[in-house]
Amino acid sequence: MTSSAWKRTLAASLLAATALATSAVTGRAADITLRALMEDVPETRIIEALLPEFTEKTGIKVEFEKIGYPDMHDKLVTQLVSAESAYNLLEVDFLWAGEFPAANWLVDLKPMADASKFDTAPFIPSMLDLLGRTADKMPLVPMYNYSMGLIYRTDLISDEKLKAAYKQETGKDLALPQTLEDYVAIAKFMKAKAGVEGAAMQGQRGDPNAMEFSNYLFSAGGRYLNDDRTVALDSPEARKALDLYVDNIKNGAQQGALSATLDDTLRLMCSGKAFSMVTYWWMLPQIDDAKACPAAAGKVALSVMPGGHGESGGWGWGIPANVPEDQQKAAWTFIQWVQSKEIAVKRALQGHAPVRSDVFADPAVLAKYPFYKTAEAVVASGKSFPIFTYSAEFENVLGTQISTAASGGTSTDEAVKASAAGLKDLMSR
Amino acid sequence: MKARAHYDREWRTGWAFAAPGLALLAVVMGFPLAYSVLMAISSLTLLKPGLFPLVGLDNFATLFSDRLFWGALLLTIRYSAVTVIGEFVLGLAIALMLKRAVRMRPVYFGLLTIPMAMSPISVALIWKMLLQPNLGIVNHLLETAGLPRVDWLGNADLALSTMAFVDIWQQTSFVVLLLAAGLAALPQEPYEAAEVDGASAFQQFIYITLPMLRPVAGIAIIIQLINEFRTYDLPYVLTRGGPGTSTEVLSYFAYRKAFLGLSLNQGAAAAFCLLVIILALTVVFFLRLERAEAAGRNAP
Repeated sequence: MTSSAWKRTLAASLLAATALATSAVTGRAADITLRALMEDVPETRIIEALLPEFTEKTGIKVEFEKIGYPDMHDKLVTQLVSAESAYNLLEVDFLWAGEFPAANWLVDLKPMADASKFDTAPFIPSMLDLLGRTADKMPLVPMYNYSMGLIYRTDLISDEKLKAAYKQETGKDLALPQTLEDYVAIAKFMKAKAGVEGAAMQGQRGDPNAMEFSNYLFSAGGRYLNDDRTVALDSPEARKALDLYVDNIKNGAQQGALSATLDDTLRLMCSGKAFSMVTYWWMLPQIDDAKACPAAAGKVALSVMPGGHGESGGWGWGIPANVPEDQQKAAWTFIQWVQSKEIAVKRALQGHAPVRSDVFADPAVLAKYPFYKTAEAVVASGKSFPIFTYSAEFENVLGTQISTAASGGTSTDEAVKASAAGLKDLMSR
Repeated sequence: MKARAHYDREWRTGWAFAAPGLALLAVVMGFPLAYSVLMAISSLTLLKPGLFPLVGLDNFATLFSDRLFWGALLLTIRYSAVTVIGEFVLGLAIALMLKRAVRMRPVYFGLLTIPMAMSPISVALIWKMLLQPNLGIVNHLLETAGLPRVDWLGNADLALSTMAFVDIWQQTSFVVLLLAAGLAALPQEPYEAAEVDGASAFQQFIYITLPMLRPVAGIAIIIQLINEFRTYDLPYVLTRGGPGTSTEVLSYFAYRKAFLGLSLNQGAAAAFCLLVIILALTVVFFLRLERAEAAGRNAP
């Protein structure tokens, strides 16, 4: 073989090797498909619409399996206890932020964040804390918040005839309620006099009624835990909150409230047949949508829960410990992308519930959604459901007691006592 | 001596043929069963995924001291009794009508199998929409007829009955098919003799049809009892065991313990109690079946 032939062969070999290596690298990225179990809510659909952008940028495909919230925990747990999870990207509710890390099902994201210089400073600190962030660990990166407030009908509350009737009946002005008692009184009045349900309530046992009741509890000045994490639920404030909750279920809410979920309340509010709902603040753009909800659009507004505090919640992104490392890396790439300011703003312009303060302050976002100022106040004033290993079970214990009290099976006093005892028992395990 | 060798050969051949099937059964049925028993006496939770140390009957003791367990058990018995009676009475009535139907009988049978062919989850979802108190079609029809709306699933006094109704709607067709087959197999001679003796149709039903149908009816009842004791899909979709605990049947209780309470061991213990009940019913079922076969063999 001549010298030039050698050179040609060597060059060809190098070229082939480079091509092979390149194709192997890009091939690996293209081979990875991130699969996540997602709650079937607007936030998921907003992100889903942006996924082609991510795939184009990284070559990593992402698939969302969308289901209702009640089925998510079981499906995730089944995968997380198996040898290898079918989901390599996790959407984790804050209620599981005690349980999942305690069971060692999640990868600690702090080393990944440090290595990739992922800046957590713009994230609202309470959202990071809600999802189990400590000085040494970060099991989850905040995805979106679901703090709860009051969505109400502006046309009904400013209706002159209703105002006069309310004044005559109660001696008070019909206005945005400032206390829980006022809210329940107005809801009952609306049901009796305005030809609509006073409150669209999600009273189904479990997560729906436990979340809804938490707003009543915080609104009445009650709390689940003291600062030293001892149980504070057995209190006069909790009794007052439950009395008012039961009163509203019986006299202010729609028929069937005890079996209703979030979807039911949304449909009812959307149909224009309800005055109010205590719900997640990002429900407002869904209801205030002339296409989807013509009967209610333009007639709804959001406020902080009467009493000044509502339930604060949020979802986070996590990575399962039982998936291969290359998939974990791909999941981290996705998390960084989806929570970057650029994408978070794009999401916010479609109705995303931000977890970054710089997104709440973004001029484009505020120009499109002026109510994000109120939303920020809802998030800032929110209080949290107790987060510990058995939060999901406590939701069920509390939900059962609330439901039993609301259906007349026990007194509110007994229900509060039993809930407090249940919380104490679960926290001591 | 020769006979003995022949017997041994047959015995070995028999086992050789049965062995693959038995091995398969041991893997797909024996192992999960044994593992679930082990779980029920273990300290296994979702947070501590290890079976050891074994805790004996502690999980059962915890379970038996839980009033919700007894509530769920009693509710399951009540629910099963109501649904099985409903399915049987309705099923027998339809089977008798179908026996008399001359035209389009295959069409009726075809229609009857539709609910049976649907998965319980789909049935529950469909009925959940139909019974939705504010936007569901059932209440809309009631209102159109001038009747008040009913809170089908949100009323603690009504929720279990509503769930039982949905169950009866789906399961009755199976009972119909079973009883219709039983009715078709009944001999005609006793009826002809009764006609000659001047017995009325009602008397024929009470004194001929029911006694002769007893073996098939018994089997239908026991199969449905087993089915109803296992009911899980309906409360899961329709009510999540609520309002309060008014629809929390034992299988849902076991699920709740295992997956919400994270106590797989207690969930397994509750499921084991359910298994014992179902096993007892199955034994009754086979004893009945055997007796029915013996009665058939001894019939003149």
